[in-house]
Amino acid sequence: MNPLFAIVIGVLFGCGVFLLLKPDLFRVIAGLVLVSNAANLTLMASGLTRSGQAPIAPVEGNEPVADPLVQAMTLTALVIGFAVTSVLLALCYGVYRARRSVDLDELSREEAAEAAALEADEPPLDEESEYDQQDEFDEEIVR
Amino acid sequence: MAIAIGWSAGGGGFGVAWAPTWDLRLAFELDGLAALYGVLAAGIGTLVFLYASAYVPRHLAHQERSRREEARLHGAMVLFLVSMLGLVMAQDLIALFVFWDLTAVASWLLVGYDRHNRDARLSALMALLVTAVSAVLMLVGILMLRAEYGTVQLPELFAVAQESTTVTVAVALIAIAALAKSAQVPFHFWLPRAMAAPTPVSAYLHSAAMVAAGVFLLSRIHPLIQLDARLLDGLIVIGLTSMAVGGLLALGSRGLKRILAYSTISQYGYVVTMLGIGGAAGAAGACFYVLGHALAKSALFMTAGAVTEATGAKALGEVGGLARRMPLLAAGSGAAAAGIAALPLTIGFFKDELFFKAALDRGNVLGALAVLGAALTFAYMARFWTGIFLGAPKGELRPVERRLIWPVALLGALVVVGGLVVGPFADLARDAAVVTQRGAVELEAAYHLDARAENLMAIGAYALGFALFASGRLLGAPLSVFSRLGHDLGPERAYNASIRGLNRLSNRLHDIEVRDLRGRLIAVVVPGAGLVALGVAVTPTDGAYRTGALPAADVPLVVALAVCALAALAVPFCRRHLLIALALSGVGFALATTYSLMGAPDVALVAVLIETIFALLFVGVFALLPRDVLRREARLRAPRSRKLRDAAIATASGVVTSLVVWSAFSRPVPREGMSDRLSALAPEAHGKDIVTVILADFRGLDTLVEITVVAVAMIAVSLLLRGKLRG
Repeated sequence: MNPLFAIVIGVLFGCGVFLLLKPDLFRVIAGLVLVSNAANLTLMASGLTRSGQAPIAPVEGNEPVADPLVQAMTLTALVIGFAVTSVLLALCYGVYRARRSVDLDELSREEAAEAAALEADEPPLDEESEYDQQDEFDEEIVR
Repeated sequence: MAIAIGWSAGGGGFGVAWAPTWDLRLAFELDGLAALYGVLAAGIGTLVFLYASAYVPRHLAHQERSRREEARLHGAMVLFLVSMLGLVMAQDLIALFVFWDLTAVASWLLVGYDRHNRDARLSALMALLVTAVSAVLMLVGILMLRAEYGTVQLPELFAVAQESTTVTVAVALIAIAALAKSAQVPFHFWLPRAMAAPTPVSAYLHSAAMVAAGVFLLSRIHPLIQLDARLLDGLIVIGLTSMAVGGLLALGSRGLKRILAYSTISQYGYVVTMLGIGGAAGAAGACFYVLGHALAKSALFMTAGAVTEATGAKALGEVGGLARRMPLLAAGSGAAAAGIAALPLTIGFFKDELFFKAALDRGNVLGALAVLGAALTFAYMARFWTGIFLGAPKGELRPVERRLIWPVALLGALVVVGGLVVGPFADLARDAAVVTQRGAVELEAAYHLDARAENLMAIGAYALGFALFASGRLLGAPLSVFSRLGHDLGPERAYNASIRGLNRLSNRLHDIEVRDLRGRLIAVVVPGAGLVALGVAVTPTDGAYRTGALPAADVPLVVALAVCALAALAVPFCRRHLLIALALSGVGFALATTYSLMGAPDVALVAVLIETIFALLFVGVFALLPRDVLRREARLRAPRSRKLRDAAIATASGVVTSLVVWSAFSRPVPREGMSDRLSALAPEAHGKDIVTVILADFRGLDTLVEITVVAVAMIAVSLLLRGKLRG
């Protein structure tokens, strides 16, 4: 069973990462959903007993009982993941309303253009190039 | 004062367990060495505080800064003082390292006190980097010692350490940090730069404390250095080189504080040489030298500050003839300069006498070099003092507070008292040398009016020094060539180049990382995956990958898992958003089925609920967006290279995840019986389902917070969807 779970978890995670790298915000969210699914499955599958009857008292028969601890943790993870993803979806819609686009490439291009426009108005801070001016600093010590 | 009393009472120590699991103790002991450096740090520190209370308000007034900034300097000075005292008393190398770095941080704050000034900032950074980066080497050395002997307690180390390559390398690493702190060649370049600090800071850090910490550490670990003669020889070479380089540069510079900075390099070169010579004579000489030098040098730094405040002059040639106008300052700094130049009737005479004696013990060549070094010292000290106080009066004289003058006079008086009544000073140094030497040390300091070798050497040094001083103008050109060469080929160039290179590298990484979300993700995922893969690669694979049993009853589980994997694989190939949402639901419901087959009805139930809401949410948001926005995204085709890159990253991370998860599942082997017992406990918590008992009872508070999170999230969602929140 071990390699089977591992492969499925790997597939979930890999597909998730692939989607995370897409420019489309919705695909990024889908990737996040897949990655958290992978995490949940990992949690569930890391129980000491992986399958059996539900851990509900009274226990009957000889069938082993599933590990309740990982179930409790997975429940928490599921609910939190759900909350986060819904906020992300709503945020996505917010981004669309503000920018009329859900494309990351497009958004960062616009952002860069705006930053450039801002910088054109103000002189750049000299902190940035402090170390490139070090030559002047160099000279002074020779005196 | 308390330190002096404690020392005369025989010292003492205490230790508290710090991190017992690592066998770290905060062990402090006030032994002779700690007393010497502690008295210097606290005593001179007190005078410097007095001096600073007059100097800093003027300094701030010159720069039109608020008086309130005074507190920042004093705060950093106190931090420095405390960490210095901790450093000298620490008996645990790790504690020592922590205090060592604290002094570096305090020095960064102090040197960079004029933070509006770019040079001050760069200088502070340089002092910090040179001393703190080399401190990392020290930490490596300490950990090597720990790996070898299993302890970082100095007394235990001294007892067990044997000569071996590991110990030699470890001690050499620690010594490098010490030499960098003491501004020895080739790390000397930071000290003249650090003169950008306000003068009280220089008078303190760069005479008696920060740079003294380096030779202190060498003295502290001297029993370990003694194990390998090569280390001792290395110290002699570095010490002599620093003496020469520092002396020549001091003779060639004009800036008042810069001369003193080079002088400090050269003077600590003496100390390092003596520590390299070793033996009772070397140890005694080194300890006494530090004492004599610190008193005189801080007086000279304060003189430089007072002169600059009074006349505005910052370099020789801009000032002159102050002797008549500021007699007390002239007398005090004259005594101090005489102390550095080792004239009789000052404490400095004995420091050179001990130096000559130690050098002669090692042979005539070293003796001759010692005389040359002393001659250089005499020459630049004479040039410094006569340049300020003799000659034609120059420039306007502004009144200055008495507090700028009398600490100098006091230290000058101490230097002279030390020359007349050397006993207490010698005792302090001897007790310190005993710690260094781990054995009895005789320290004899007295005037002998006979033709013994030390006296002859001293006279030779004065004569040669006077000759050098008198031929000052002739020496100007070659000296400036020397400093030019040092600047063009010296280690500072390497430092600057590496700083610039690092800066560029960091800019490039920054550009890659923050360009967009994808870059940020890659910057996190790729190194993370690499580290994990490395961990997997180096972990022994024996028994790490178990297949485990696959009973016939689990076939439905396998089917559910297969469906889940297939659905997940389908997601990246979906072009239309609705299909993505459907495929995601497929994954989710398959997982819910899996959970239900794993004996987890609660999880399965919640998963089904959540997947249902998800499907609705996705579809709902898609419905809110205009068709063409989504359609444009769906039609977007990434370039082939990017597709391949993404696929490679995804595959790699998937494979690594599989491997890690597989090995995690393999141990411990699934055990039965545990869960049965847990479930049997449920009725005692007034429940039947142990999962709900865990959530509502054992982790009740967590669940409460979780509910809050969900509630907040739902409020955020509803606000966002109604367009009330704007980013």
